[in-house]
Amino acid sequence: MRAREPDADGYVDRGGVKLHWARAADAVLDATGTDRAVLVSLSMGAMWALWLMANRPERVLGSVFIGASVPLGPGYDDRQQPFEEPYTSTEGWARYNRHYWLDHDRDFLGFFFSRCFTEPHSTKPVADSVGWGLETSPEVLIAESHAPWPEEATLRGWGAAGRCPVLVVHGDDDRISPLRRGAALAEASGGALVVLEGAGHIPLARDPVKVNLLLREFVEGLPARSGP
Amino acid sequence: MTTRATSERRRPPEQTRARHPDAEGFVERGGVRVFWERHGDGEPTLLLLPAWSIIHSRQWKAQVPYLARRYRVLTFDGRGNGRSDRPAGAGAYDDGQYVADALAVLDATGTRRAVLVGLSRGGRWAVELAAARPERVLGAALIDPALPFMAPLPREQGYPFEEELDSTEGWAKFNRHYWLREYRDFLEFFASQAFSEPHSTKQIEDMVGWGLETSPETLVATQLGAQPASREEVEAVLRRVRCPVLVVHGDGDRVRPHAVGAAVAELTGGALVTVEGGGHCPQARHPVRINLLLREFVESLGGMAR
Repeated sequence: MRAREPDADGYVDRGGVKLHWARAADAVLDATGTDRAVLVSLSMGAMWALWLMANRPERVLGSVFIGASVPLGPGYDDRQQPFEEPYTSTEGWARYNRHYWLDHDRDFLGFFFSRCFTEPHSTKPVADSVGWGLETSPEVLIAESHAPWPEEATLRGWGAAGRCPVLVVHGDDDRISPLRRGAALAEASGGALVVLEGAGHIPLARDPVKVNLLLREFVEGLPARSGP
Repeated sequence: MTTRATSERRRPPEQTRARHPDAEGFVERGGVRVFWERHGDGEPTLLLLPAWSIIHSRQWKAQVPYLARRYRVLTFDGRGNGRSDRPAGAGAYDDGQYVADALAVLDATGTRRAVLVGLSRGGRWAVELAAARPERVLGAALIDPALPFMAPLPREQGYPFEEELDSTEGWAKFNRHYWLREYRDFLEFFASQAFSEPHSTKQIEDMVGWGLETSPETLVATQLGAQPASREEVEAVLRRVRCPVLVVHGDGDRVRPHAVGAAVAELTGGALVTVEGGGHCPQARHPVRINLLLREFVESLGGMAR
Protein backbone atom coordinates (compact mmCIF):
# COMPACT_ATOMS: atom_id res chain seq x y z
CA MET A 1 0.00 0.00 0.00
CA ARG A 2 1.24 3.43 -0.91
CA ALA A 3 -1.67 5.25 0.59
CA ARG A 4 0.38 8.14 1.91
CA GLU A 5 2.40 8.78 -1.19
CA PRO A 6 2.31 12.52 -1.86
CA ASP A 7 0.61 13.47 -5.05
CA ALA A 8 1.39 16.41 -7.27
CA ASP A 9 -1.61 18.30 -5.99
CA GLY A 10 -1.29 17.02 -2.45
CA TYR A 11 -4.80 15.67 -2.18
CA VAL A 12 -3.88 12.04 -2.21
CA ASP A 13 -1.66 12.69 0.75
CA ARG A 14 -4.32 14.68 2.59
CA GLY A 15 -7.05 12.23 1.68
CA GLY A 16 -5.09 9.26 2.89
CA VAL A 17 -6.67 5.89 2.25
CA LYS A 18 -9.82 7.47 0.88
CA LEU A 19 -8.03 8.68 -2.22
CA HIS A 20 -5.77 5.71 -2.59
CA TRP A 21 -8.47 4.15 -4.71
CA ALA A 22 -8.43 7.04 -7.17
CA ARG A 23 -4.78 6.29 -7.83
CA ALA A 24 -5.57 2.59 -7.98
CA ALA A 25 -8.19 3.25 -10.65
CA ASP A 26 -5.61 5.20 -12.62
CA ALA A 27 -3.22 2.27 -12.27
CA VAL A 28 -5.87 -0.20 -13.47
CA LEU A 29 -6.34 1.85 -16.61
CA ASP A 30 -2.57 1.70 -17.15
CA ALA A 31 -2.34 -2.01 -16.44
CA THR A 32 -5.13 -2.86 -18.87
CA GLY A 33 -3.78 -0.61 -21.61
CA THR A 34 -6.84 1.62 -21.45
CA ASP A 35 -6.20 5.12 -22.71
CA ARG A 36 -9.66 6.46 -21.98
CA ALA A 37 -12.76 5.20 -20.25
CA VAL A 38 -16.25 6.12 -19.18
CA LEU A 39 -16.32 6.14 -15.38
CA VAL A 40 -19.24 4.67 -13.45
CA SER A 41 -19.12 5.18 -9.70
CA LEU A 42 -21.33 4.29 -6.76
CA SER A 43 -21.58 6.05 -3.39
CA MET A 44 -18.16 7.18 -2.14
CA GLY A 45 -16.68 6.07 -5.46
CA ALA A 46 -17.88 9.50 -6.56
CA MET A 47 -14.87 11.00 -4.83
CA TRP A 48 -12.45 8.93 -6.88
CA ALA A 49 -14.29 9.64 -10.12
CA LEU A 50 -14.15 13.38 -9.32
CA TRP A 51 -10.41 13.16 -8.69
CA LEU A 52 -9.84 11.39 -11.99
CA MET A 53 -12.00 13.91 -13.85
CA ALA A 54 -9.94 16.78 -12.46
CA ASN A 55 -6.49 15.20 -12.49
CA ARG A 56 -6.65 12.83 -15.47
CA PRO A 57 -9.10 14.67 -17.72
CA GLU A 58 -7.51 13.24 -20.86
CA ARG A 59 -8.48 9.75 -19.74
CA VAL A 60 -12.12 10.36 -18.87
CA LEU A 61 -14.70 10.20 -21.66
CA GLY A 62 -17.63 10.66 -19.34
CA SER A 63 -18.62 10.08 -15.75
CA VAL A 64 -21.77 8.54 -14.27
CA PHE A 65 -22.42 8.95 -10.54
CA ILE A 66 -24.92 6.61 -8.86
CA GLY A 67 -26.03 7.32 -5.29
CA ALA A 68 -23.08 9.69 -5.00
CA SER A 69 -21.93 10.05 -1.39
CA VAL A 70 -19.64 13.03 -1.10
CA PRO A 71 -19.93 15.90 1.39
CA LEU A 72 -21.53 18.49 -0.87
CA GLY A 73 -23.94 20.22 1.47
CA PRO A 74 -25.46 18.70 4.57
CA GLY A 75 -26.01 14.99 5.01
CA TYR A 76 -28.59 13.37 7.25
CA ASP A 77 -28.78 14.56 10.85
CA ASP A 78 -29.36 11.07 12.22
CA ARG A 79 -26.01 9.98 10.79
CA GLN A 80 -24.15 12.49 12.97
CA GLN A 81 -22.99 9.98 15.58
CA PRO A 82 -19.66 9.69 17.40
CA PHE A 83 -17.42 7.27 15.53
CA GLU A 84 -14.33 7.13 17.72
CA GLU A 85 -15.77 7.18 21.25
CA PRO A 86 -17.18 4.04 22.87
CA TYR A 87 -20.79 3.66 21.84
CA THR A 88 -23.51 4.32 24.39
CA SER A 89 -26.39 3.18 22.23
CA THR A 90 -26.84 0.27 19.85
CA GLU A 91 -29.84 1.75 18.05
CA GLY A 92 -29.88 3.02 14.49
CA TRP A 93 -26.90 5.00 13.29
CA ALA A 94 -25.25 4.79 16.73
CA ARG A 95 -23.96 1.53 15.30
CA TYR A 96 -21.83 3.51 12.85
CA ASN A 97 -19.03 3.33 15.40
CA ARG A 98 -15.62 1.72 15.24
CA HIS A 99 -16.05 -0.07 18.55
CA TYR A 100 -19.43 -1.41 17.56
CA TRP A 101 -17.97 -2.69 14.28
CA LEU A 102 -15.30 -4.59 16.17
CA ASP A 103 -17.89 -6.05 18.55
CA HIS A 104 -20.78 -6.70 16.16
CA ASP A 105 -19.51 -6.73 12.60
CA ARG A 106 -22.40 -8.68 11.07
CA ASP A 107 -25.08 -6.75 12.92
CA PHE A 108 -23.62 -3.47 11.70
CA LEU A 109 -23.53 -4.75 8.14
CA GLY A 110 -27.15 -5.92 8.38
CA PHE A 111 -28.21 -2.52 9.69
CA PHE A 112 -26.20 -0.55 7.18
CA PHE A 113 -27.49 -2.45 4.16
CA SER A 114 -31.06 -2.31 5.45
CA ARG A 115 -30.64 1.46 5.17
CA CYS A 116 -29.04 1.14 1.74
CA PHE A 117 -31.91 -0.96 0.40
CA THR A 118 -35.04 0.79 1.58
CA GLU A 119 -37.10 -0.66 -1.27
CA PRO A 120 -39.43 -3.57 -0.44
CA HIS A 121 -38.34 -7.04 -1.57
CA SER A 122 -34.64 -6.36 -1.12
CA THR A 123 -33.71 -9.40 0.94
CA LYS A 124 -31.43 -10.76 -1.78
CA PRO A 125 -29.33 -7.60 -2.33
CA VAL A 126 -29.10 -7.20 1.46
CA ALA A 127 -27.89 -10.79 1.83
CA ASP A 128 -25.40 -10.28 -1.00
CA SER A 129 -24.03 -7.08 0.49
CA VAL A 130 -23.69 -8.46 4.00
CA GLY A 131 -21.82 -11.42 2.53
CA TRP A 132 -19.45 -9.11 0.68
CA GLY A 133 -18.98 -7.02 3.81
CA LEU A 134 -17.96 -10.15 5.69
CA GLU A 135 -15.25 -10.78 3.10
CA THR A 136 -13.31 -7.88 4.57
CA SER A 137 -12.73 -7.08 8.23
CA PRO A 138 -13.94 -4.34 10.55
CA GLU A 139 -10.32 -3.23 10.87
CA VAL A 140 -10.18 -2.48 7.16
CA LEU A 141 -13.50 -0.65 7.26
CA ILE A 142 -12.26 1.42 10.19
CA ALA A 143 -9.05 2.34 8.39
CA GLU A 144 -11.01 3.48 5.36
CA SER A 145 -13.56 5.44 7.37
CA HIS A 146 -10.87 6.99 9.53
CA ALA A 147 -9.29 8.84 6.63
CA PRO A 148 -10.50 12.40 6.24
CA TRP A 149 -12.68 13.52 3.33
CA PRO A 150 -11.46 16.18 0.95
CA GLU A 151 -12.92 19.61 1.67
CA GLU A 152 -16.23 20.49 0.05
CA ALA A 153 -14.55 23.30 -1.89
CA THR A 154 -11.97 20.84 -3.18
CA LEU A 155 -14.67 18.45 -4.37
CA ARG A 156 -16.55 21.27 -6.07
CA GLY A 157 -13.30 22.34 -7.72
CA TRP A 158 -12.72 18.86 -9.10
CA GLY A 159 -16.27 18.78 -10.42
CA ALA A 160 -15.84 22.14 -12.12
CA ALA A 161 -12.43 21.16 -13.52
CA GLY A 162 -13.81 18.08 -15.25
CA ARG A 163 -14.52 18.60 -18.94
CA CYS A 164 -16.45 15.44 -19.76
CA PRO A 165 -20.21 14.82 -19.92
CA VAL A 166 -21.64 13.88 -16.53
CA LEU A 167 -24.76 11.94 -15.50
CA VAL A 168 -25.89 11.83 -11.88
CA VAL A 169 -28.39 9.09 -11.00
CA HIS A 170 -29.86 9.35 -7.52
CA GLY A 171 -32.75 7.70 -5.67
CA ASP A 172 -35.18 10.03 -3.94
CA ASP A 173 -35.33 7.60 -0.99
CA ASP A 174 -31.55 7.33 -0.60
CA ARG A 175 -31.12 7.08 3.19
CA ILE A 176 -27.31 7.08 3.05
CA SER A 177 -26.67 10.15 0.93
CA PRO A 178 -29.57 12.54 0.41
CA LEU A 179 -30.79 13.41 -3.05
CA ARG A 180 -29.76 17.03 -2.46
CA ARG A 181 -26.13 15.90 -2.55
CA GLY A 182 -26.64 14.25 -5.93
CA ALA A 183 -28.30 17.44 -7.13
CA ALA A 184 -25.36 19.51 -5.80
CA LEU A 185 -22.93 17.23 -7.61
CA ALA A 186 -24.84 17.58 -10.88
CA GLU A 187 -24.75 21.34 -10.49
CA ALA A 188 -21.06 21.45 -9.55
CA SER A 189 -20.06 19.26 -12.49
CA GLY A 190 -22.51 20.65 -15.04
CA GLY A 191 -24.11 17.24 -15.37
CA ALA A 192 -27.61 15.94 -15.92
CA LEU A 193 -29.56 14.64 -12.92
CA VAL A 194 -31.87 11.65 -13.18
CA VAL A 195 -33.97 11.06 -10.05
CA LEU A 196 -35.16 7.49 -9.51
CA GLU A 197 -38.48 7.58 -7.68
CA GLY A 198 -38.68 5.37 -4.61
CA ALA A 199 -35.12 4.17 -5.09
CA GLY A 200 -32.62 3.79 -2.26
CA HIS A 201 -28.86 4.13 -2.21
CA ILE A 202 -27.89 1.28 -4.54
CA PRO A 203 -30.30 1.27 -7.46
CA LEU A 204 -27.89 -0.64 -9.70
CA ALA A 205 -28.68 -3.75 -7.64
CA ARG A 206 -32.35 -3.04 -7.03
CA ASP A 207 -33.38 -1.46 -10.36
CA PRO A 208 -30.77 -3.00 -12.66
CA VAL A 209 -32.71 -2.72 -15.91
CA LYS A 210 -33.42 0.97 -15.41
CA VAL A 211 -29.79 1.68 -14.49
CA ASN A 212 -28.43 -0.44 -17.35
CA LEU A 213 -30.54 1.41 -19.88
CA LEU A 214 -29.47 4.78 -18.45
CA LEU A 215 -25.82 3.76 -18.68
CA ARG A 216 -26.24 2.58 -22.25
CA GLU A 217 -28.07 5.74 -23.24
CA PHE A 218 -25.33 7.86 -21.65
CA VAL A 219 -22.51 5.99 -23.38
CA GLU A 220 -24.27 6.09 -26.76
CA GLY A 221 -24.84 9.82 -26.34
CA LEU A 222 -21.18 10.69 -25.81
CA PRO A 223 -19.46 12.74 -28.54
CA ALA A 224 -18.11 10.59 -31.37
CA ARG A 225 -14.64 9.39 -30.55
CA SER A 226 -11.86 7.66 -32.45
CA GLY A 227 -9.90 4.62 -31.47
CA PRO A 228 -10.73 2.05 -28.82
CA MET B 1 -76.24 -12.90 -9.01
CA THR B 2 -74.69 -10.44 -6.62
CA THR B 3 -71.23 -11.90 -6.80
CA ARG B 4 -70.30 -9.83 -9.83
CA ALA B 5 -70.67 -6.51 -8.09
CA THR B 6 -68.76 -7.86 -5.11
CA SER B 7 -65.88 -9.05 -7.24
CA GLU B 8 -65.62 -5.72 -9.04
CA ARG B 9 -65.62 -3.81 -5.79
CA ARG B 10 -62.85 -5.92 -4.36
CA ARG B 11 -60.52 -5.51 -7.29
CA PRO B 12 -57.54 -3.29 -6.45
CA PRO B 13 -55.81 -1.27 -9.17
CA GLU B 14 -53.93 -3.68 -11.36
CA GLN B 15 -50.14 -3.89 -11.18
CA THR B 16 -48.15 -2.71 -14.15
CA ARG B 17 -48.08 -5.36 -16.83
CA ALA B 18 -45.14 -6.30 -19.04
CA ARG B 19 -47.58 -7.24 -21.79
CA HIS B 20 -51.25 -6.59 -22.36
CA PRO B 21 -53.62 -9.14 -23.89
CA ASP B 22 -54.47 -9.09 -27.59
CA ALA B 23 -57.99 -10.27 -26.85
CA GLU B 24 -60.13 -10.93 -23.81
CA GLY B 25 -63.65 -12.00 -23.02
CA PHE B 26 -65.99 -14.00 -20.86
CA VAL B 27 -67.47 -17.44 -21.27
CA GLU B 28 -70.65 -18.19 -19.38
CA ARG B 29 -71.69 -21.61 -18.11
CA GLY B 30 -74.77 -22.05 -15.96
CA GLY B 31 -74.88 -18.35 -15.18
CA VAL B 32 -71.24 -18.23 -14.06
CA ARG B 33 -68.98 -15.95 -16.06
CA VAL B 34 -65.32 -16.88 -16.49
CA PHE B 35 -62.82 -14.31 -17.76
CA TRP B 36 -60.15 -15.26 -20.30
CA GLU B 37 -57.29 -13.51 -22.08
CA ARG B 38 -55.28 -14.28 -25.19
CA HIS B 39 -51.69 -13.16 -25.79
CA GLY B 40 -49.85 -13.67 -29.07
CA ASP B 41 -50.90 -15.64 -32.14
CA GLY B 42 -48.12 -18.15 -32.77
CA GLU B 43 -48.42 -21.91 -32.96
CA PRO B 44 -49.35 -23.96 -31.04
CA THR B 45 -51.82 -22.63 -28.50
CA LEU B 46 -50.87 -22.97 -24.84
CA LEU B 47 -53.68 -22.97 -22.28
CA LEU B 48 -52.28 -21.89 -18.90
CA LEU B 49 -54.86 -23.23 -16.48
CA PRO B 50 -55.83 -21.60 -13.21
CA ALA B 51 -54.79 -23.12 -9.90
CA TRP B 52 -56.61 -22.93 -6.59
CA SER B 53 -58.74 -19.77 -6.54
CA ILE B 54 -56.64 -18.35 -3.72
CA ILE B 55 -54.81 -16.85 -6.73
CA HIS B 56 -55.82 -16.00 -10.30
CA SER B 57 -54.39 -15.79 -13.79
CA ARG B 58 -51.72 -13.26 -12.84
CA GLN B 59 -49.93 -16.26 -11.34
CA TRP B 60 -48.55 -16.67 -14.88
CA LYS B 61 -47.27 -13.11 -15.22
CA ALA B 62 -43.67 -14.25 -15.55
CA GLN B 63 -44.57 -16.78 -18.26
CA VAL B 64 -47.02 -14.93 -20.50
CA PRO B 65 -44.70 -12.27 -22.00
CA TYR B 66 -42.03 -14.84 -22.83
CA LEU B 67 -44.29 -17.56 -24.20
CA ALA B 68 -46.45 -15.12 -26.17
CA ARG B 69 -43.47 -14.15 -28.32
CA ARG B 70 -43.64 -17.62 -29.88
CA TYR B 71 -47.01 -19.12 -29.12
CA ARG B 72 -50.67 -18.30 -28.74
CA VAL B 73 -51.21 -18.15 -24.99
CA LEU B 74 -54.59 -18.44 -23.29
CA THR B 75 -55.18 -17.83 -19.60
CA PHE B 76 -58.35 -17.60 -17.54
CA ASP B 77 -59.27 -16.68 -14.01
CA GLY B 78 -60.53 -19.71 -12.16
CA ARG B 79 -64.08 -19.26 -10.89
CA GLY B 80 -63.91 -17.73 -7.44
CA ASN B 81 -61.23 -15.09 -8.13
CA GLY B 82 -59.88 -12.51 -10.57
CA ARG B 83 -62.47 -11.17 -12.97
CA SER B 84 -64.46 -14.41 -12.92
CA ASP B 85 -67.62 -14.82 -10.86
CA ARG B 86 -67.68 -16.13 -7.32
CA PRO B 87 -70.71 -18.40 -7.25
CA ALA B 88 -71.90 -19.62 -3.87
CA GLY B 89 -71.90 -23.28 -2.89
CA ALA B 90 -69.30 -26.01 -3.07
CA GLY B 91 -70.90 -27.62 -6.13
CA ALA B 92 -69.83 -24.68 -8.25
CA TYR B 93 -66.21 -25.58 -7.49
CA ASP B 94 -66.17 -29.28 -8.34
CA ASP B 95 -63.16 -30.35 -10.39
CA GLY B 96 -65.55 -30.94 -13.28
CA GLN B 97 -66.54 -27.27 -13.29
CA TYR B 98 -62.97 -26.09 -13.84
CA VAL B 99 -62.41 -28.70 -16.55
CA ALA B 100 -65.63 -27.63 -18.28
CA ASP B 101 -64.57 -23.97 -17.97
CA ALA B 102 -61.27 -24.82 -19.66
CA LEU B 103 -63.08 -26.52 -22.53
CA ALA B 104 -65.46 -23.57 -22.81
CA VAL B 105 -62.49 -21.20 -23.12
CA LEU B 106 -60.97 -23.37 -25.85
CA ASP B 107 -64.31 -23.32 -27.69
CA ALA B 108 -64.89 -19.60 -27.24
CA THR B 109 -61.45 -18.78 -28.60
CA GLY B 110 -61.78 -21.16 -31.55
CA THR B 111 -58.98 -23.36 -30.26
CA ARG B 112 -59.08 -26.91 -31.60
CA ARG B 113 -56.10 -28.23 -29.68
CA ALA B 114 -53.75 -26.84 -27.06
CA VAL B 115 -50.80 -27.65 -24.88
CA LEU B 116 -52.03 -27.54 -21.28
CA VAL B 117 -49.93 -26.03 -18.51
CA GLY B 118 -51.22 -26.53 -14.98
CA LEU B 119 -49.93 -25.62 -11.55
CA SER B 120 -51.00 -27.49 -8.42
CA ARG B 121 -54.77 -28.06 -8.77
CA GLY B 122 -54.41 -26.84 -12.33
CA GLY B 123 -52.18 -29.85 -12.92
CA ARG B 124 -55.01 -32.07 -11.75
CA TRP B 125 -57.50 -30.37 -14.07
CA ALA B 126 -55.03 -30.65 -16.95
CA VAL B 127 -54.79 -34.39 -16.39
CA GLU B 128 -58.56 -34.73 -16.16
CA LEU B 129 -59.03 -32.74 -19.37
CA ALA B 130 -56.32 -34.68 -21.20
CA ALA B 131 -57.91 -37.97 -20.13
CA ALA B 132 -61.44 -36.92 -21.04
CA ARG B 133 -60.80 -35.04 -24.29
CA PRO B 134 -57.55 -36.38 -25.77
CA GLU B 135 -58.36 -34.92 -29.20
CA ARG B 136 -58.10 -31.40 -27.75
CA VAL B 137 -54.79 -31.84 -25.92
CA LEU B 138 -51.36 -31.82 -27.56
CA GLY B 139 -49.39 -32.20 -24.36
CA ALA B 140 -49.59 -31.48 -20.65
CA ALA B 141 -46.97 -29.72 -18.54
CA LEU B 142 -47.76 -30.23 -14.87
CA ILE B 143 -46.04 -28.03 -12.29
CA ASP B 144 -46.17 -29.29 -8.70
CA PRO B 145 -49.40 -31.14 -9.59
CA ALA B 146 -51.89 -31.64 -6.77
CA LEU B 147 -53.13 -35.18 -7.36
CA PRO B 148 -54.55 -36.72 -4.18
CA PHE B 149 -53.60 -40.18 -2.87
CA MET B 150 -50.31 -40.26 -4.77
CA ALA B 151 -48.09 -39.80 -1.73
CA PRO B 152 -48.57 -39.02 1.95
CA LEU B 153 -48.90 -35.34 2.70
CA PRO B 154 -46.51 -33.84 5.26
CA ARG B 155 -47.61 -34.77 8.78
CA GLU B 156 -47.88 -31.14 9.84
CA GLN B 157 -50.78 -30.72 7.40
CA GLY B 158 -52.87 -33.28 9.28
CA TYR B 159 -55.60 -31.03 10.69
CA PRO B 160 -59.30 -31.43 9.93
CA PHE B 161 -60.62 -28.65 7.74
CA GLU B 162 -64.18 -28.43 9.02
CA GLU B 163 -63.80 -28.90 12.79
CA GLU B 164 -63.19 -26.14 15.29
CA LEU B 165 -59.61 -26.56 16.50
CA ASP B 166 -57.87 -25.57 19.72
CA SER B 167 -54.71 -24.63 17.90
CA THR B 168 -54.17 -21.79 15.45
CA GLU B 169 -50.50 -22.57 14.85
CA GLY B 170 -49.02 -23.61 11.52
CA TRP B 171 -51.22 -25.81 9.35
CA ALA B 172 -53.98 -25.60 11.95
CA LYS B 173 -54.70 -22.35 10.16
CA PHE B 174 -55.83 -24.42 7.16
CA ASN B 175 -59.31 -24.57 8.66
CA ARG B 176 -62.62 -23.08 7.55
CA HIS B 177 -63.33 -21.51 10.92
CA TYR B 178 -59.94 -19.88 11.03
CA TRP B 179 -60.32 -18.57 7.48
CA LEU B 180 -63.58 -16.88 8.39
CA ARG B 181 -61.97 -15.27 11.45
CA GLU B 182 -58.41 -14.51 10.36
CA TYR B 183 -58.39 -14.67 6.59
CA ARG B 184 -55.36 -12.49 5.99
CA ASP B 185 -53.28 -14.32 8.56
CA PHE B 186 -54.14 -17.59 6.87
CA LEU B 187 -53.13 -16.15 3.49
CA GLU B 188 -49.81 -14.98 4.86
CA PHE B 189 -49.16 -18.39 6.40
CA PHE B 190 -50.10 -20.29 3.28
CA ALA B 191 -48.00 -18.01 1.06
CA SER B 192 -45.02 -18.53 3.37
CA GLN B 193 -45.42 -22.28 2.87
CA ALA B 194 -45.95 -22.03 -0.88
CA PHE B 195 -42.85 -19.85 -1.20
CA SER B 196 -40.38 -21.58 1.05
CA GLU B 197 -37.36 -20.25 -0.84
CA PRO B 198 -35.41 -17.28 0.56
CA HIS B 199 -36.03 -13.88 -1.04
CA SER B 200 -39.70 -14.59 -1.80
CA THR B 201 -41.19 -11.47 -0.21
CA LYS B 202 -42.56 -10.18 -3.52
CA GLN B 203 -44.17 -13.48 -4.47
CA ILE B 204 -45.67 -13.79 -0.99
CA GLU B 205 -47.05 -10.27 -1.17
CA ASP B 206 -48.57 -11.00 -4.58
CA MET B 207 -50.23 -14.18 -3.38
CA VAL B 208 -51.69 -12.48 -0.30
CA GLY B 209 -52.98 -9.64 -2.47
CA TRP B 210 -54.62 -12.02 -4.93
CA GLY B 211 -56.10 -14.01 -2.06
CA LEU B 212 -57.67 -10.83 -0.70
CA GLU B 213 -59.45 -10.33 -4.04
CA THR B 214 -61.73 -13.19 -3.13
CA SER B 215 -63.43 -13.94 0.18
CA PRO B 216 -62.93 -16.59 2.84
CA GLU B 217 -66.49 -17.81 2.17
CA THR B 218 -65.62 -18.39 -1.48
CA LEU B 219 -62.36 -20.09 -0.60
CA VAL B 220 -64.19 -22.44 1.78
CA ALA B 221 -66.51 -23.38 -1.09
CA THR B 222 -63.53 -24.15 -3.36
CA GLN B 223 -62.14 -26.43 -0.68
CA LEU B 224 -65.39 -28.42 -0.44
CA GLY B 225 -65.91 -28.96 -4.18
CA ALA B 226 -65.76 -32.53 -5.46
CA GLN B 227 -62.30 -34.02 -6.03
CA PRO B 228 -61.22 -37.58 -6.87
CA ALA B 229 -62.32 -39.84 -4.03
CA SER B 230 -59.82 -42.69 -4.18
CA ARG B 231 -56.37 -43.66 -5.34
CA GLU B 232 -57.95 -46.03 -7.87
CA GLU B 233 -59.88 -43.15 -9.38
CA VAL B 234 -56.75 -40.99 -9.68
CA GLU B 235 -54.69 -43.82 -11.14
CA ALA B 236 -57.39 -44.60 -13.70
CA VAL B 237 -57.39 -40.98 -14.87
CA LEU B 238 -53.60 -40.82 -15.06
CA ARG B 239 -53.40 -44.06 -17.05
CA ARG B 240 -55.88 -42.71 -19.59
CA VAL B 241 -53.59 -39.78 -20.49
CA ARG B 242 -52.16 -40.41 -23.97
CA CYS B 243 -50.42 -37.12 -24.74
CA PRO B 244 -46.79 -36.30 -23.89
CA VAL B 245 -46.45 -35.23 -20.26
CA LEU B 246 -43.84 -33.14 -18.47
CA VAL B 247 -43.90 -32.99 -14.69
CA VAL B 248 -41.88 -30.28 -12.93
CA HIS B 249 -41.76 -30.51 -9.15
CA GLY B 250 -39.73 -28.72 -6.51
CA ASP B 251 -37.99 -30.93 -4.00
CA GLY B 252 -38.63 -28.26 -1.37
CA ASP B 253 -42.40 -28.18 -1.99
CA ARG B 254 -44.07 -28.01 1.42
CA VAL B 255 -47.62 -28.01 0.06
CA ARG B 256 -47.53 -31.05 -2.23
CA PRO B 257 -44.46 -33.24 -1.78
CA HIS B 258 -42.13 -34.07 -4.65
CA ALA B 259 -43.21 -37.71 -4.42
CA VAL B 260 -46.59 -36.70 -5.86
CA GLY B 261 -44.98 -35.35 -9.02
CA ALA B 262 -42.77 -38.42 -9.29
CA ALA B 263 -45.82 -40.73 -9.10
CA VAL B 264 -47.72 -38.65 -11.66
CA ALA B 265 -44.77 -38.81 -14.06
CA GLU B 266 -44.53 -42.57 -13.64
CA LEU B 267 -48.22 -43.27 -14.15
CA THR B 268 -48.48 -41.02 -17.21
CA GLY B 269 -45.16 -42.11 -18.68
CA GLY B 270 -44.09 -38.49 -18.49
CA ALA B 271 -40.70 -36.91 -17.91
CA LEU B 272 -39.90 -35.63 -14.43
CA VAL B 273 -37.78 -32.54 -13.86
CA THR B 274 -36.87 -31.71 -10.26
CA VAL B 275 -36.37 -28.09 -9.26
CA GLU B 276 -33.72 -28.34 -6.56
CA GLY B 277 -34.76 -26.31 -3.55
CA GLY B 278 -37.92 -25.26 -5.37
CA GLY B 279 -41.09 -24.58 -3.40
CA HIS B 280 -44.69 -24.97 -4.48
CA CYS B 281 -44.90 -22.22 -7.12
CA PRO B 282 -41.65 -22.38 -9.12
CA GLN B 283 -43.21 -20.55 -12.07
CA ALA B 284 -43.15 -17.40 -9.92
CA ARG B 285 -39.91 -18.03 -8.07
CA HIS B 286 -37.84 -19.65 -10.85
CA PRO B 287 -39.47 -18.17 -13.93
CA VAL B 288 -36.54 -18.42 -16.33
CA ARG B 289 -36.03 -22.10 -15.58
CA ILE B 290 -39.73 -22.84 -15.94
CA ASN B 291 -40.07 -20.78 -19.12
CA LEU B 292 -37.18 -22.63 -20.77
CA LEU B 293 -38.60 -25.99 -19.70
CA LEU B 294 -42.00 -25.10 -21.13
CA ARG B 295 -40.48 -23.94 -24.40
CA GLU B 296 -38.38 -27.09 -24.65
CA PHE B 297 -41.45 -29.21 -23.97
CA VAL B 298 -43.54 -27.40 -26.58
CA GLU B 299 -40.74 -27.67 -29.16
CA SER B 300 -40.37 -31.38 -28.39
CA LEU B 301 -43.95 -31.90 -29.52
CA GLY B 302 -42.69 -31.03 -32.99
CA GLY B 303 -44.92 -31.31 -36.04
CA MET B 304 -47.91 -32.62 -34.21
CA ALA B 305 -48.20 -29.32 -32.39
CA ARG B 306 -48.54 -27.45 -35.70
